[in-house]
Amino acid sequence: MAEFMDLNLTFSGDKAELRKLVDTAAHLGYSTVAINYVFEPNPKKKTPVPIPVPVAKLVHPLPVVQGCSRPIRILNRLTIMMSDPSHYRASSPEYKHFDLLAVQPNTDKLFLSACMTYDVDLICFSVSDRLPFFYKRAPVHGAMERGVAFEVSYAAGIRDSTRRRYTMANAMFHSDICKGKNMVVSSGAERALEIRGPYDVMNLSQLFGLTERHGKDAVTTNCRRVVLHAESRKTAGGIIRTFRRDEATVGTSTVDTSGEDCPAAKRAKTQDDQAIEA
Amino acid sequence: MVRVKSRYLLCEVNVTDRNQLLQLDDRAVSASVKDVVQRMYGDYGAALCSFGFSVKYVNAVSGIVFLRFPKKCYKRLWSALPFITSIEARGKKIQCFLNCIYVGGTIRTCQKFLIRYNAHQLRRMLPKCKSEEEKHKVQQAILDCCLTARTDESEDPLESEED
Repeated sequence: MAEFMDLNLTFSGDKAELRKLVDTAAHLGYSTVAINYVFEPNPKKKTPVPIPVPVAKLVHPLPVVQGCSRPIRILNRLTIMMSDPSHYRASSPEYKHFDLLAVQPNTDKLFLSACMTYDVDLICFSVSDRLPFFYKRAPVHGAMERGVAFEVSYAAGIRDSTRRRYTMANAMFHSDICKGKNMVVSSGAERALEIRGPYDVMNLSQLFGLTERHGKDAVTTNCRRVVLHAESRKTAGGIIRTFRRDEATVGTSTVDTSGEDCPAAKRAKTQDDQAIEA
Repeated sequence: MVRVKSRYLLCEVNVTDRNQLLQLDDRAVSASVKDVVQRMYGDYGAALCSFGFSVKYVNAVSGIVFLRFPKKCYKRLWSALPFITSIEARGKKIQCFLNCIYVGGTIRTCQKFLIRYNAHQLRRMLPKCKSEEEKHKVQQAILDCCLTARTDESEDPLESEED
């Protein structure tokens, strides 16, 4: 049984709506979801980077996923809409609150640097207009080698007909270049009625130019790859992870072994080790 | 041997307000599917839907719908289904979406899956029961499902208490 993930549930500020959305996602069979905080830096007003609401306060108790007996896992994600290189600061302390980092570049130079150098997990496509720039295979392959995935959101297409055309056009252009690999399809839903079941999404990705195989990967394997990549960002080289003793880890499923008094060989396998082996 | 093969899509209609579900009927579902296929695929889609597509069964209480598509084009028509945002039944619009849970080659395989699925949903309902009486009813229903080996569908009137 594959593990389905939806990495884009947009946080619109309404907690009750978000609760319903997470309940629906669990009912449909998604084992992991990520709450997306979209941040658009404005040069005139210095808006601060949003701090995510702790998951325990948002949704409690966590609903159980359809098809298995575990509760749903909720991650926090930040999407930065970039139109200027100063919008993304590499080691900003505000990014530590988030589990996943994504960027949406608006120019081709930013796209190139996002693919090759920036330490992010996902690169998003715009859904409200045509891609403002064209790109070739080189940066895309560079991103694939680093483990960065490209994301398409389908909820805007469900809401509006012109957005549907742009979503599909941008997605098809990209899947031609990358041959359907390393793509992630996610919802971008703000309300409970905008999310769709995983098998429907796999079929829907045919409209985005993906084959059946790649469509399934887009909801399962590639998502899992992105989440593991994000976890390895918090470690040193994927091996050592430091954390405070009293840090609450509600909402994540990492197995914490404090390890100071336990020799390395006897420590339980953490997810970091799995990330290296993956 | 020429045998007309088709695919039966078992879909669940998800709504926020369960009372609205009771107004579903097969003509409304059929009209909304044809409408969305027409919007996505135009005249070609409308032609694909005109023969071979039909709504075989609608259960208004649990929100289960059986759709029949011809085998050659079922994937294409299935890819248009996520774009359904509402179903218009008896003059009222029900805000909903369709979630496909099973694709089968015959109605019988879909039925078998649906029985298992309903039994699973009953078990999911058990921890959410608010009163002892409800809990007892659900437990009785689960026991009934396990003990009787019926091949026809056992509809559960308690489905309406879900959530």
